[in-house]
Amino acid sequence: MRAFLRGVMVLLREIADENAYQRHLQSVGRVHSAEEWRRFLDERLAHKFAQGKCC
Amino acid sequence: MKKIAGRIVWALISLAAAFFLTAIAVDRGEPVNSFWIVLAAACTYLLGFRFYARFIAAKVMALDDQRATPAERLRDGHDYEPTNKWILFGHHFAAIAGPGPLVGPTLAAQFGYLPSVYWIIIGAVLGGAVQDFVILFCSMRRDGKTLGQMARDEIGKTGGITALLTVLFIMIILLAVVALVVVNALRGSPWGTFTIAATMPIALFMGVYLRYLRPGKVLECSTVGFVLVIASIFGGQAVANSPLLAPWFTLSATSLAIAIIIYGFLSSVLPIWLFLAPRDYLSTFIKLGVVAMLAVGILVVHPTLQLPAFTRFVDGTGPIFAGKVFPFVFITIACGAVSGFHSLISSGTTPKMIAREWNAWPIGYGSMLLEGFVAIMALIAACSLQPGVFFAVNSPPGVVGTTPAAAVSTISNWGYPVSVAEMNALAADAGEKTLFYRTGGAPSLALGMAHIFSSTGGGKAILGFWYHFAIMFEALFILTIIAAGTRVGRFMLSDLLGHAYPSLKRSTWMPGVFATSGLVVLAWGYFLYQGVRDPLGGINSLWPLFGIANQLLAAIALCVGTTIFIKMHRARYMWITAVPLAWLVAVTFTAGYQKIFSDQPRVGFLSEASHLQSAIDAGTIAAGRISEAQSQIFNDRLDAAVCGMFLIMVALILVDSIRVWFRILGDTREVKVDETPFVLSRLQAEEL
Repeated sequence: MRAFLRGVMVLLREIADENAYQRHLQSVGRVHSAEEWRRFLDERLAHKFAQGKCC
Repeated sequence: MKKIAGRIVWALISLAAAFFLTAIAVDRGEPVNSFWIVLAAACTYLLGFRFYARFIAAKVMALDDQRATPAERLRDGHDYEPTNKWILFGHHFAAIAGPGPLVGPTLAAQFGYLPSVYWIIIGAVLGGAVQDFVILFCSMRRDGKTLGQMARDEIGKTGGITALLTVLFIMIILLAVVALVVVNALRGSPWGTFTIAATMPIALFMGVYLRYLRPGKVLECSTVGFVLVIASIFGGQAVANSPLLAPWFTLSATSLAIAIIIYGFLSSVLPIWLFLAPRDYLSTFIKLGVVAMLAVGILVVHPTLQLPAFTRFVDGTGPIFAGKVFPFVFITIACGAVSGFHSLISSGTTPKMIAREWNAWPIGYGSMLLEGFVAIMALIAACSLQPGVFFAVNSPPGVVGTTPAAAVSTISNWGYPVSVAEMNALAADAGEKTLFYRTGGAPSLALGMAHIFSSTGGGKAILGFWYHFAIMFEALFILTIIAAGTRVGRFMLSDLLGHAYPSLKRSTWMPGVFATSGLVVLAWGYFLYQGVRDPLGGINSLWPLFGIANQLLAAIALCVGTTIFIKMHRARYMWITAVPLAWLVAVTFTAGYQKIFSDQPRVGFLSEASHLQSAIDAGTIAAGRISEAQSQIFNDRLDAAVCGMFLIMVALILVDSIRVWFRILGDTREVKVDETPFVLSRLQAEEL
């Protein structure tokens, strides 16, 4: 049950782009800051919303 | 020993599937419990996943976990990232699940539950899931190429351009039809309108919260947003009960359509982080939560289906939309069994995140089966309503009569008894003034869901809350689709027009942003307005148009898949994609032909136009309504032209594909497969 709930939380963080942000921080070797988050989010969202939502 | 036990288990599942599928089809003169349908779907999906999909994966695709995927080879921490199989499964499912599998089966229930159940089960196993899986595989072996790129590379230039144009036109029809669903759900409903209106400032607040107050805390922000949205449902109830505030939020269909058009425009030009992104996060979480809740609710309540296996409307005289069960049940259910739009997701983000090739099996094939399950649940929710209530909610006044008394009389004469008092009592329980003429599928689905949720506890006392919760859920994610779709349409248009006027390609050039957003909004807004003004409810013409377009996109995807199979020297397995392709072509071309040329005015666009023209010429239309009839004639001809254009575009791709197939099959020389070369995977298990 605990493993299942942990899996659900990881999935929610993936959908929320929080995991992607952590990966981004690791890959660029920087730490979290408001400015870094905004830079990441702008790039991420521009790409994400370049394709339509499914029907 | 383990092998024998496994074979026995699968043999038992096969027997169970055959038994349940037969049991729901045999008329024993008693209502069927939804549990039988859930079990029939579950057993068949398990068999399809374990045997058919595995056969495709092993024998046809020859998936190989030793082969490095694009996620590993091109890893960049952004788009290309090896991701855990189950995480990506959830991510992919969240991306493909839209309003189609909820609304389509609800509308198709007018034929009875049986045609829909069978198509959702069989169509998903042999058609929809195959399409998703094959396109995901093809894209994964081509560094994550899009469907349009693959169509151009594998079939030819015509295929690529046609695929791009088809996507743009489908999007315009899709946005119009889903907007119409929202309009019909909120028309004359202060409770629902207030709740949805409140989600706008909530989204703005969430945008600011996420960017400036708590940067990076998306889950926390979405939780705050969810609490506020639930509070707005209670606020909506207070507004509906207030003699002062209720009139402000009691809007006509036309006013709501204009509001949604303005919303679409603003969400396309405002910064993504401020409005669209927070709505998208919130609606995705609510969507997944509600699907899970509905599954639990159906398992706990397992309601009895009130609609019969077949209704009298299989003959094509249905009040919700006209047309016979073949081909219209297939194009109405659309996404619940086969969705062309999924091929865009399967060739979008997902192939860039697959860690191992075999993961494409559960992600590509399994996700679509889960979507089929969502469609089954929506169908159960709709069919658990009394037939009389179902038709009273979903039938337009142009068909059943313009007063409640006339409507119940017409519907009762069809053999589905219902009374005005019964409808009024139900409306009062749901917190609505009336539930008559609520076409579009969303209100009847919300009623069915509310019935299931309230049966788990609380009863009629909380039916109103659950009804508006379901309406909020449907409207919230449909409006997110409208916002995202308008934006994507804007990008496509600026790309297209940018060849003539290069400044349009710059996304920072605001006059261009405003102009292209305006054009896209006007395009789908026109069809929305047309639907709102249509005396037959709009759904009768727009939903089949959307269904045809969506299934034609699936046909394009299957053309690409078949071409690639042939190029891979798997021609003897081409039936895997060619059979569903042939079926979709038969269904959509029949439906398209009937929508254009049928001599019945409620089915054929041209027939309705000439019927109205004759009435004007004969002077049987009142002088005050002549201009309305003339615009209806124009709309019918426009719809016929759009439908004809879809058919021509797909016929072009089909002919082009067949030409390529014959060329390859008749050529003895080696055919070049456009796959990325084999690279040995070095991905470690702990990296996932």
